[in-house]
Amino acid sequence: MAAPERVSVVAAGVVTPIGQDLEAFWSSLVTGVSGISQIERVPVADLRVQRGGEVKKVSRIKDWRGVPDCRATRLLVAAADDLCVQTAFRPLPLDPPRVGVVVGTALGGVEEGERVLAGESARRLRDALYDGPGDRLARWLGARGPVITVSTACASGATALAMGAELLRRGEADAVVAGGYDVLCRFVLRGFDALRSLTRDEVRPFDRRRTGLLLGEAGALALLMRERDVTGRRLGTLLGYGSASDGFHIAAPEPEGRGLERAIASALADAGVSARDIDLVSAHGTATPLNDRIETAALKRALGARAYQVPVNSIKAGLGHTMGAAAALEAFMCLLAAQRGLIPPTLNLEDPDPECDLDYVPGQARVGRPRLMLSTSMGFGGCNGALVLEAA
Amino acid sequence: MTVAPAIRALGFLSGQSQADAGAAAGILALPRPNRVGDRFRRTTRECLLALAAVDAMLEDGMVGREAIAGDRTALQYVTAAAYAASNREFIERRGGVMHFAYTAPAVVSAEVAIEFGITGPYGILIGGAPATLRAIEQSARLLETGRCDRALVLVVEVFEECADLYARHRRFDRRPLVETAACLWLERGQGDLRFESTRRAGAAGDASRGAERFAAGPLADLREWLDRERAGPLELSGRWRGEHARLRWSTEGSHARGSAA
Repeated sequence: MAAPERVSVVAAGVVTPIGQDLEAFWSSLVTGVSGISQIERVPVADLRVQRGGEVKKVSRIKDWRGVPDCRATRLLVAAADDLCVQTAFRPLPLDPPRVGVVVGTALGGVEEGERVLAGESARRLRDALYDGPGDRLARWLGARGPVITVSTACASGATALAMGAELLRRGEADAVVAGGYDVLCRFVLRGFDALRSLTRDEVRPFDRRRTGLLLGEAGALALLMRERDVTGRRLGTLLGYGSASDGFHIAAPEPEGRGLERAIASALADAGVSARDIDLVSAHGTATPLNDRIETAALKRALGARAYQVPVNSIKAGLGHTMGAAAALEAFMCLLAAQRGLIPPTLNLEDPDPECDLDYVPGQARVGRPRLMLSTSMGFGGCNGALVLEAA
Repeated sequence: MTVAPAIRALGFLSGQSQADAGAAAGILALPRPNRVGDRFRRTTRECLLALAAVDAMLEDGMVGREAIAGDRTALQYVTAAAYAASNREFIERRGGVMHFAYTAPAVVSAEVAIEFGITGPYGILIGGAPATLRAIEQSARLLETGRCDRALVLVVEVFEECADLYARHRRFDRRPLVETAACLWLERGQGDLRFESTRRAGAAGDASRGAERFAAGPLADLREWLDRERAGPLELSGRWRGEHARLRWSTEGSHARGSAA
């Protein structure tokens, strides 16, 4: 069988609580900047936890004409603007029907639904449906190829990148803008508050004292192209993807992490590499008591002895859990680590949990130039996803 | 082009055949299925309908639930709007009553995975009819590449809980919205499957249909084709947000095998 078509991550654009372009995002990751703050955009006085990774002002775009007053759409467009600046991608250098858009989200434009129910115009329903913001992004880009929205909960960003690669491999598009987004709104803040998943402390992935996560918001998009079509610089290669369902519980992860283990095995097989080849793991690492222990166990089984030999980091302590954007941001972190020769630290990890006994890069960024990276994701409904990425 | 999958079975529940005189204007609703067990006490109507659609599919295939259990079964879930009902309930009850996790689209396929022990590859697409056609095509690829032995395409659309909102939106107020829960079972087949998609400006839904089913339209057409004893070529199509998509089975593929209809 012929080797699968290789797909390049040509460039990436982001808007996050720690930076509104890729350089600022990277700089904050390696210097340990935290984007966690008191939430200001929506009322939170009635909530147990009132902090998160909020983007205070989407400052990189001055003129929002033609873009609806929809937070989700604006995060996506801002991330796309960063991507365009880096790639000179807008206006499109390609035939618009050959440019696709694939975005992942856990919440879509649910905030627009809140506004309609609060009495605002029913026209907002168009954006309240979860595929609304992705459709708006495609219009802003002028892309007229496939436009797809996936919602595999907090694994959505990984699913979107993989699906974008698939569109290229089967020739449905020549370029795909793919990634994820989600916003901090009353809906999700109240929901996680009710679930008691949020911490009043710092987010401490893999730490003995960890007590939960904080939410964040972000938009994260990559330009994907077939490797043979790329002539200039690129960030790296999307080598493989795997997914598996827990089939266990709607909100809790399967206690042994078997679904994540299957997703990792599937991603390694898809990439045509073995566990021994992996040099860096970007963990889901939410800092909930259950997640970190289960993820550690799954990594040990999936990677064997290699799990103890490679750095495993989580970037959620500084960003918050950005849900649909998380896996895309973590994939970009992996590729930037390979390009820059630095591995960002896991913030707030000071007292390691004995049950989490891998090398989680505590303290400071570490010099290292990984070649092959694994990024893992877990979400509501037992959605597990894994990506394998290769340095440029 | 992909190897065309064989259609093993189709479970199809439609509000069109169960129109309730008390239903909201413009909505042909499906009743909330009864399901025994403490686990289902808080489960949403869309989740219960998904489970009922899988039950109907197993009945159509004349097999027990063990036939789809395990990690060799892939599950693709598609909806344009089924999550809106639980979103609204969570928003208006101000949290606490409704379990927040049920607002996630992923939970519908999760309930199916839990109930039937499905642990293989999965995907969840949000969109109208073209998303369903894409899910079928993706399932065919998973089968072709050996990532699974069987693939289920699950589609659920419910509207009743948000009937007043749809009535306020000019794009959804012209034709009846028909609630649907359907599950299609695909296996390896032969022949070709061709997926085509183009985009141009257009309405949100599919103006060519008398009723609006959002993502479920193609499976309603498939049900009709199966009811016609597979007469003629199988071609499914649909529109959503300006995308026009079409999925064509070659004749030999569509007749390869299967017990549905």
